[in-house]
Amino acid sequence: MPVFCWGAAKGGRVRRNTGDHVLAAIPLAWLAVLFLVPLGFTLVYSFGTSGFGSVTLGFSLDNYAQALGPLYLETFLRTLAFAVGSSAACLVFAYPIAYAIARRSGRFKIVAFALILVPYLASLLIRVMSWQILLAQGGPLERMLRSIGLLHSPLTILDSIPAVVIGTIAVYLPIAVIALAVVLDRIPPEVIEAGHDLGASPSATFFTVILPLSRPGIATAALLTAVPMLGELVIPVLLGGNKGLFLAQAISAQYVQSQNYALGSAMVVLLVIAIAVIVALLVRLTRGFDATGGEPGRPERAKRVEG
Amino acid sequence: MSSSAHPVSRRAVLGAAALAPVAAFLAACSSPGSGSSGTASAKLTSQLNIYTWPDYFSKDDLAAYAKKYGVTPKISTYTDNNTLYTKLNSAAGAGYDIVVPSSSWIKQISDKGLLEELDHDRLNLKNLDQSLLNRNYDPGNKYSIPKDWGLLGVVYDPDATGGEIKTWQDFFDAGAKPNVSGRIRMTSAAEETVGPALWIQGKDWNTKKISDIEGTADFLTGFAKHVKTFSAFDANAMASGAIVMAQANQAYARNAILLNPKLKWVVPGPTSELWVDSFSIAKGAPDIDRAYQFLEYQLTPTVQLNETVYLGYPASLKGLKSKMPSNVKQADLIFGGPNVDLGKLTSFVVNPDTYPTFQDIQNKVQAAAGA
Amino acid sequence: MTAPALLRESGHPPVGSRGPRLVTGVALWVWFGVAVVFLFSPIVTAIAYSFNAGVAGKQTSAFTGFSWDWYSQAVSDPTIRQATETSLVVAFWAAVIAVLIGTILGFELARNPNRTVRRLLAALTYILLIVPDTVLGVSLLLFYTETRIPLSEFTLIAALTPPAISVVAFVIRARVLTLDPQIEDAASDLGASRLATLRLVVLPQLGPAIAAAAIIAYTFAFDNVVIANFLSTPTVNVLTVYLYGTLQYGATPAVYATATLIFAATIVVLALAALLLRTTVRFRARRGD
Repeated sequence: MPVFCWGAAKGGRVRRNTGDHVLAAIPLAWLAVLFLVPLGFTLVYSFGTSGFGSVTLGFSLDNYAQALGPLYLETFLRTLAFAVGSSAACLVFAYPIAYAIARRSGRFKIVAFALILVPYLASLLIRVMSWQILLAQGGPLERMLRSIGLLHSPLTILDSIPAVVIGTIAVYLPIAVIALAVVLDRIPPEVIEAGHDLGASPSATFFTVILPLSRPGIATAALLTAVPMLGELVIPVLLGGNKGLFLAQAISAQYVQSQNYALGSAMVVLLVIAIAVIVALLVRLTRGFDATGGEPGRPERAKRVEG
Repeated sequence: MSSSAHPVSRRAVLGAAALAPVAAFLAACSSPGSGSSGTASAKLTSQLNIYTWPDYFSKDDLAAYAKKYGVTPKISTYTDNNTLYTKLNSAAGAGYDIVVPSSSWIKQISDKGLLEELDHDRLNLKNLDQSLLNRNYDPGNKYSIPKDWGLLGVVYDPDATGGEIKTWQDFFDAGAKPNVSGRIRMTSAAEETVGPALWIQGKDWNTKKISDIEGTADFLTGFAKHVKTFSAFDANAMASGAIVMAQANQAYARNAILLNPKLKWVVPGPTSELWVDSFSIAKGAPDIDRAYQFLEYQLTPTVQLNETVYLGYPASLKGLKSKMPSNVKQADLIFGGPNVDLGKLTSFVVNPDTYPTFQDIQNKVQAAAGA
Repeated sequence: MTAPALLRESGHPPVGSRGPRLVTGVALWVWFGVAVVFLFSPIVTAIAYSFNAGVAGKQTSAFTGFSWDWYSQAVSDPTIRQATETSLVVAFWAAVIAVLIGTILGFELARNPNRTVRRLLAALTYILLIVPDTVLGVSLLLFYTETRIPLSEFTLIAALTPPAISVVAFVIRARVLTLDPQIEDAASDLGASRLATLRLVVLPQLGPAIAAAAIIAYTFAFDNVVIANFLSTPTVNVLTVYLYGTLQYGATPAVYATATLIFAATIVVLALAALLLRTTVRFRARRGD
């Protein structure tokens, strides 16, 4: 730690630390009331016994035993597979789009961005309902595919998992694009030029310079798609024929249909723990998967500018 | 990293932050409580809040009511009785005047003290179809009066099923046939899935024996692989042939048959469901007088007829069938077809001891269908 | 290396790689075109089918005839009008709150000097995202029932913020991680408070990220079905609950008409806002601010 500039640095850091904590306290306070306390209810209920629409408090692990039973375990794994798969497909689809917007659109960046965002502004339900019409047997997509000779039998994709995946990607694509684009946008052109100057081919530059620098974007996009997909309720019902129980449906069924708040709560607690473990593992495996290598989040180690 | 030299310690700031929500609590608790007005207001307010199924009142009738009495009812919607129960049972239930529970849930909701007892002196029930009154789900109509009714039946394409369907056994048998398997719609209501499986064994779906109910699980999960969807009934899917056999009520069936006249409708034997969506008044309704006024308006013969034509479900007036205007197509389907005997039908009553088992089986069936 | 971080990417290719660059350029834009078609196809369908005459007042998957009726119904039906108004107000305020709180959270996620605090905040933000809507809806409902807090438009707005805050926070955090911390250090060395640094140094660099996050927050709130279902009251009804209901029991083209009208209105408002922003920026630049 450099000893010169001690006075000014320490004073600045004091102000910074206090300021940071005050700032950090604001979201904490808001979320404590609106989120943590209700979730606390959930935690407490998970140990209780269910009465139809009410919970007798107590300490029982029965709900957890049931929640870990074969049906729900299978449901969790199936939903996880769905979320990871759809999220990966979404990211692959989104990366070139984000790249085009962030680095190849020049003056038309806003227009390109807008083209991707504008559909997102239409109500989600209407978009999904329209996918229902599009994918229906005898619907517009089937007629179009038949007329160009790509299809010779009825289109039965609706009310099945592929339809759910298509609908999910259509809904989450703009989020993935945004998360990627805001990061790709900020890669300094000098870094890329440096790669070229050192003799790297364009594809080598991409894989060794651009891709690693876009890791925060990829990580964010993966997170913002995969995790909400785990809790997706509407799309599997509307496009999947309400079949093949997804996790959100299973939990919702406990709360609303069976009026079993205790079991539903236990399932939620397990879900949160499971995701936390998975994300923590991912972070460990990729050494803070969103770091770009310069550890910019550590101001006390930032280089001092001489003079 | 010592923080002791800092004028404002991290702990103090985070502690202050924790106090903020507590302060918010206290402020909220001391403000006027949630709108539960225990006593009925003597004067009519200018609001009427109705919590009901989607699109369940004819717009013309509502407009006529508004014109006559100067109040446009505010309509909120739910898509299943469970949501109605959850909301009424919570802070969100305050402020509703009229609710429209299905017959199956009236006992559960009223047992929890969430419905007002109806004053029959204020309602003219003489013109209603008397066979709809005083049924097992609400003896003496203490808490409800019938709004409209429906049946659980099957609408199907006889060419695909290779013959007529007369009983629930026929339904399950047809489901395994190659032309039908994978093109079936079943309902997502647990009792309507488990019920038929109980009826083919001659059992009663209001049974208290959980073992009977659980006994249907294997059969139903085995049948699940033939089912394409448990989602909302889609008349278009039946018209295009994507679905060839569906559990449905008579109004859905009528919509499908209007699009594709070769479809057939049946209420399978030995028994099936009669549900009666009913008017009830929520406990602590802000304007009980306005509620009775609206109910009286709904019970007038012209309104009853209009609602029947609009909804496709029969309202509860006596002799409606003969009063149907001639331009209404397939009018007898509204009443479930020509040979409906309400005496042979059974209404479900939600029992908190058995209902979670029904729902469990429904979850398993839906999971098995998607595997 | 500090100044270029503030400049917009100009996209000038280095000499000698123009050929392959053109090929990738074309490929990229073809891919982009496919994406645009994919994303717009449900929109086009919805608009087209809002003019469908339907059968017996219900929507059909085959076009049966052209009709303006649904638009007049959408505009005159009091339930639809009420629900639309409420939805727009609720979504707007939920977005405002979510962007404010989410930006602060995202900034702190990236820049808070204390690693434990950062980890704590990160855990909180992740959980916000993980918890399903049903759980949030029901537990908030139970919470309000137990604490006897009356439900209102505000409680609904507040309930819609947690997932939106999470998304905003993550997007902002990703962007902040790409900013140069030395500038912020310089600002605080010069005596700026943390809030001032945030406001004057960081925020201008976050511009597009905040705009995008605001749009996401707004749509999250507007499109929410489940939480809105639980926390709506006799007088607070939102459009999504109404739409979902009609879907289960027979959608009419009127809901497509409503959605089309709202969509058109949203685009007009955003376009106006963008134009306004652009002219203000140009004006300021010319004035030499």
